[in-house]
Amino acid sequence: MHALIIDDSTTMRSILRRIVTGLGYTTAEAGDGQQALDQMEAGPLPDLCLIDWNMPVMDGYTFVTRVRDREEWRDVTLMMVTTESEHNQIVRALAAGAHEYVIKPFTPDAIIEKLDLLGLVPQEATA
Amino acid sequence: MTTTTDTPVDTVVRVEDVRALLDGVWESFLGAEEPLLTAALPAHLGGWTAAVSVTGTWRAQITIEVVDPLARLVTAHMLGRDEEPAVEDVRDALGELVNMVGGNIKSLHHGTAMLSLPWVGYGEDAPPPLLRETCRLDLTWRGLPLRVLVHVSASAAAADERRHSG
Repeated sequence: MHALIIDDSTTMRSILRRIVTGLGYTTAEAGDGQQALDQMEAGPLPDLCLIDWNMPVMDGYTFVTRVRDREEWRDVTLMMVTTESEHNQIVRALAAGAHEYVIKPFTPDAIIEKLDLLGLVPQEATA
Repeated sequence: MTTTTDTPVDTVVRVEDVRALLDGVWESFLGAEEPLLTAALPAHLGGWTAAVSVTGTWRAQITIEVVDPLARLVTAHMLGRDEEPAVEDVRDALGELVNMVGGNIKSLHHGTAMLSLPWVGYGEDAPPPLLRETCRLDLTWRGLPLRVLVHVSASAAAADERRHSG
């Protein structure tokens, strides 16, 4: 499994990287939505994107809409991981095509639980 | 010392709410073993200042002031490293910390508002003069001081005061 971690904070990318590599994921990172789109164009395509909302250049919401515009990227799972906790923001992101929404602060277990619900925890990680 | 001004309702951020949010952030990323403790701190801490602003139906600025040793300790914990963090790492970690605290404080208020990208500086402070302090938390972690401040739009606070006194 391969995850693309999209956050302008290197600290947050490091925290998320530790969580998903602990599950056996390989990872790539991007500092904003545009960088993430560029990486997806170049490949390899991730199984999972963990996406912050507030970022310079291109925010996470715009990234989600751009990914969902691409038919060939429909199998990529999109999970928002953000401080944006207003109800209408959550609804917007899910309506735009995000599969899950995690509000910062989070615990590693909260992320793993959401991934498990999406069937994205590799079996060897739970064995 | 923990204080709050007597600014009423809508623009007020309750100290206990901010404290609960801060404790949540701290426990998630720095562990629950050593909690934040309320403390009496000098007026000027020196060191790092990190801030985010909220604009929209509610205008505010959330600021975290922290001495350099604590900033480095927090950064090392968040990054899961034992070695001394680089200055860029400290800047980034404090930015993410105030982003999380500010984002959650924003969510306490109804209406639509945007959170800015974080601003982080060393040896710089002073919130914008149009904003008025409405909440202050003076705390220590592992014996090292930090302060959390919430400033709101002075004009909005004054309007609230008139509305609720009338």
